[in-house]
Formats: sequence, C-alpha cells, structure tokens
Amino acid sequence: MTNATIFIVDDDPAVLDALSMMVEQEGYSVKTFACAEAFLSAYQQEVLGCAVLDVRMPQINGLTLQKMMADKGILLPIIFLTGHGDIPMSVDAIKAGAYDFLTKPVTREKLLASIRPAIIESDKKLSQYASIQEAKDLIESLTDREKEVMLLAVNGFPNKEIARRLSISHRTVEIHKSKIMHKTGAINLLDLASIAREGGAFD
Amino acid sequence: MTEDLTKLLNNLSFSTLFNSIADATLLVDERGQIVLANESAEQLLGFSVDELKGLGVEALIPNMYREHHVYLRHDFLKNPAKRSMGKGRNLVVLTKNGSELPVDISLSPINSNEEKFVLVTFHTINRLLEVESSLKSSEERLRLAKASAGLGVFDIDLELDVAQCDTLVCKLFGFQRNIRITYQCFVDAIDVIYQPKWHAMFEKATASSNDGDYQIEFRVNNQQNQTKHWLYVAGRVFFSKDQAVRMVGVVQDSTKQKQLQQKLNEQRIELETLFKTQIAIQTASAIAHEINQPLAAISAYSEVALFALKSEQPDFERLNRSLLGCVAQAHRAGKSLHELMEFLQKGKVELEPIDLNEVVLEALDITQHNGYGGFKSLLDLEPNLPKVLANHTQLQKVLVNLLRNGVEAAQNIGVPIAEIQVLVRTHAELNMAEVIIQDNGPGLTNEVKERIFEPFFTTKEHGVGMGLAISRSLIEACGGQLWFDINHRDGAAVHLTLPFAKNETISNL
Repeated sequence: MTNATIFIVDDDPAVLDALSMMVEQEGYSVKTFACAEAFLSAYQQEVLGCAVLDVRMPQINGLTLQKMMADKGILLPIIFLTGHGDIPMSVDAIKAGAYDFLTKPVTREKLLASIRPAIIESDKKLSQYASIQEAKDLIESLTDREKEVMLLAVNGFPNKEIARRLSISHRTVEIHKSKIMHKTGAINLLDLASIAREGGAFD
Repeated sequence: MTEDLTKLLNNLSFSTLFNSIADATLLVDERGQIVLANESAEQLLGFSVDELKGLGVEALIPNMYREHHVYLRHDFLKNPAKRSMGKGRNLVVLTKNGSELPVDISLSPINSNEEKFVLVTFHTINRLLEVESSLKSSEERLRLAKASAGLGVFDIDLELDVAQCDTLVCKLFGFQRNIRITYQCFVDAIDVIYQPKWHAMFEKATASSNDGDYQIEFRVNNQQNQTKHWLYVAGRVFFSKDQAVRMVGVVQDSTKQKQLQQKLNEQRIELETLFKTQIAIQTASAIAHEINQPLAAISAYSEVALFALKSEQPDFERLNRSLLGCVAQAHRAGKSLHELMEFLQKGKVELEPIDLNEVVLEALDITQHNGYGGFKSLLDLEPNLPKVLANHTQLQKVLVNLLRNGVEAAQNIGVPIAEIQVLVRTHAELNMAEVIIQDNGPGLTNEVKERIFEPFFTTKEHGVGMGLAISRSLIEACGGQLWFDINHRDGAAVHLTLPFAKNETISNL
C-alpha cells in the first residue's frame, strides 16, 4: 500500500529529517510537521496512512494531540515515539487508542513493523467509514413516511400492524416498502436492518 | 555571802577574772589603745596577746569604717554607758590574716581612779547560728529548685577522690548510696563509646590554662536498673595553685530530648536521601533527553545511509544528507553535554583557611548524633596543624560521609562496637595535611576497590552511590586527593589530603 501517506510530527528537525528519509525509502509519501498545530491545520481530508507522533513536544505534546485528533474524528492510526520508555504514559496512550508506542532511537525494522499494520488498520477504518457514509446517504434519500415504515418493518411488525399504527391502508404500506427496498438496494428485511443501523436510523 | 567566799573574791585578781571570760574580750583605754586581751581574743583575732597590747582598736576595724569609728569612740567616751555596739547592724571584726568575722560586740565602761577604760566583748555564737540557719534555708531553696528543674548536683573532691552526690545523681548514674563514690565510678558508669569524649572533656576542663568550665552530653549504662540514659552535664572545675582540686556539676536527664532529636534527625536523613535520589533522577533524565534526541537522529540517519548505499542504484543525495546529519548530531550531543556540565558546576566554591582538627571534631560529633548509632572513635589529631585551604561546609560533609561509610560498614557485619580511628598528619614534603579514617568493618573486596568511586556504584541497600564520587571531586577541587589504601588489611582505610593555605607554611609553627 505505497499510496499511503505517513504524517510525522516531531519538534526536533534532525529527527524529523532522518525519519522522513527513512520512510520515503520505503516508497511511502511523507508529510512532516514541527508541531501539533501545523499538522492539525494541514490535515483536512481523511487519507490512507498513519501518524508518527513525538510524545515530548513543547506546547501541545503528543498525548494532547492524540486527544484533539479523537475529538475531530480523525481516523489516522497513531504511532508514538518517546525518549523514555515511560510505562504509565504508554499505557495511557494505548488505552486512548494509540496503535503503537516505540522508544527512541527506533530502528528502521521496528518502525516499519509498526507502520505496515497501521496502514492496514487505516484502510479498514476508511472502508468502514465509507460504508457508513453510504448507508447514511441511502437513509437520507428516503422520505419521512418511508423512514417511519422502514423503522416499523425492521422492528418486525407485519404490514397490517404498520398500516394500523400509521392509519394508512395495507396497500399503501406495501407501496412504501417496495420503494424503500428499491432506493436502498436492500435484498431483504435483514439487509435493510443492517443498512438502517449503519446509517444511524436508530440513533 | 559566807566569809570564805568573801575572802576568795578579795583574793581574785582582775587579770584572773579577765582571762577566764569565755568570750573574746579586750580592755581599751580612753585613747583607744588595747591594754589587755584574753586568750579567747587571741584565738578569735589571730593576734597574740602581746601583739594586741598597745594596738589601736582601729586596727581591728575594716579600713572603710576606721575614720568613722574614731569619731564614734570619742562620742561614746563623752557619755559612757554599758550597751551593745552597732545596735543590730552587721558588725565585723578584722582578724590578723585580713578576713572579716561577723560578730556582736558589747561595750562596758570601767572607771578606775581618774582613768577611763572600756571593756569590749565579742560574741560570735549567735551570729554563727544565724549564718547557719540562713545557710540551711538557702540549701532548702536550692533543693526545691533542683527538684523542680530535674537537676542533680555532684561535687567531686579530686584530691581526696571522693564525691558528694545528691539522690538524683545517684539514681541517674546508678550509684549505690552507701558506698564511697570516686571519680572512677563516674567514668565506669559512662557508656564505653562515650568514655573518650568524657576523658577529652576532663582533660580540657582540668587544664590550668582554661577557665575550668565544661559541658558534655553522653550516655550512661545504669548498672542498678539496667537502663540507658542520656545525660547532659555542665559545671566547673576549681583550681588551687594551678592544680584541679574540685569538680562540680549539674546533671540533667536528656534521654527524651535525645530520642526526639534522634527521630527528627532520622526523618531529616530520610528526606535528604529522597531528595538526593530525586536530584540524581532529574539530572540523569536531563542528560538522557539531551543525548537521546541526537542519538535517535544519528541512528535513523545511519540506517538511511545504509539503505541508500545498498539499493540497486545508490542514492547519493540521501547518502550525503544523512551522513552530514550524523556528523552534525554527534556534535550537537557533545555540545549539549558540555553546556549541561557547565550549568551543573556553576557557582564557584569559596575556599578559605580552615582548622582541619576542628572540622574533624565537628564531623565526628555530627556523625555521632545523626541516628547512625554510637561508635567508638579513636582520635589522633596533630596539634598546631597549620590551616588547610578548603570549603568548610563541603569538607565537613565529605568527612561525615566518610565516617558514616565506616560506621555503616562495621555495623552491617554486626561488630559489637563500630570503631573509627581518625588520624590527622602533616606531609611536610607535599605541603599538605592528611586525614586517615579507618574502620573495623569488613574492608573492601577487589571488585569494590576498583569501582568504589564510580557514580551510582553502591554496596548499600538504600544508597544512591554518589557519596564517594562527589566527595572525591570536592576534595580534588580543593587541590587535594581522596583514595582508599589498597594494602590495608583490617577494615577499610580512606586517605584524604588537602593543601595548606598559602601563608600557613609549616615553618610558621
């Protein structure tokens, strides 16, 4: 997956320079940032890849940046680099969803052994995100009445009951259902239920 | 009156009567000259009867009252009557050896023919009783004061070697009341560890060149109730013809105070150790960060260079950039270390001429009282040692550190009494003073000997391992040296040299 981009954030220019060359040699594209703010303002659209963050940085440190990324809903997996093998700090980082925690100096082997699966993780997250987005779009294409019918249908109510609850005719329910199946492309009720859940119809 | 008695009385001469008066009596003529004195007067005043005869009475009056007395005497003769002199005032009479005796005096005029005489009688008994009773009441006040202050008092007659001790002193030292208490009894009661301290104090207090004042704190092993007490003693030695003859002291039980002090000291040491450990961690952490960043860059650059070299088409651009990076980062690391060391060593230490013997004594005292438990010290100081050039606080800390190491080493192998020998010597040829501290611990193994000055090397369970490394660098900063005697067999022996202050050469002795 050499179309992946590796984002490196480290306040030490030499470390930034050396690591970026190392990652470039593997054929990845690299973007380097000297501080958290520069990274956040540059990262506007989700891309395939991962973030390599230094823990100890002035102003916004690596752990704070991790939290800010989570708040913004950024999907990039995070690999931390730290000068000290600080165990409590690494536990906190991993608990907060960090992909890995490496100590400096880091060998090429260890860094790549961490980057490669992180990119696969990124790919998985992106496709999940895409299918959710798709389901959301499908649900959005339904009219309000169709959404009502869909919710009752996937909750297992028979057409007769749906008709009674919505005070419409049995026939109208059938027409709505057919339109719902057509618009969402669901092949059966079970399929429809999963689209409804992914698209956040139950939220 | 019977005839016999009348006959006897007629035969009694005036002088027989006069001599048999029990009180000291003088017969004085109207010019104030003594014409007769009895034997009692001789005993009281110290003059012989012959010396007294013809002496003016003013000779028996203290100098400052003499002139006034002449006037009083003339006044009396104008209107002579039997009465006591001074009317209740505290009269004194001057004796031959110049001392003043408190007396009551009564005057009786005697008229014989044309001549007037006055019979002067001295009464001493009442005055003695008075003095005695006031002494008793002041003794009683002293006893009450002593009891309420928890003070015991002793008084040693050094010539007869016998001591008077009050109940509290006997209780504290564990003396039996009915036996003769000698100077040695005091020494024997003192814990063997503190006996050298007592001897040193005694030597100093009884030196005729000193004022005899002394104070000392030590522990006693009470043989009576098998307890140990800390005692604080202060007092004075009295001299007669440059010879110490009497030693008086006030004793207070300072055990509770001592325990509290010890506890505080232990807490302080604990805190100090914690603090030192924190400093070591912080310093190490600062160094680690300064070095780790360049190392991380160098490591990555090197791998980039290797990769650039090994690829099918060598990537000279990246190879060049990464090798230049390596060089720059190695220099950066060196510079950081340099700056850090400069920062840590800033604040130059003031060196001053110091009395090495005195600092050794201070250090021994601090070590003795810092919760490191008792130890026996054998001191061999060099008197008249010229002053050395060092920093007082640092030198004291170094010595305390070395003494503690010795005591701990000995205590760790469970010797009954840790024994520290301290020798102070002059090295004339080097113009240096040397201190040698020996302990009776297990000594140093070869491995320990090699590594003993390494930072963070320690054989102690709770040590940081910086004490000797720091001590050595402090001594070296003064121009001295610190080393362990590698050939020493029993225990460990550490040597420390310091240069003499410039204007304090050995020829100045």
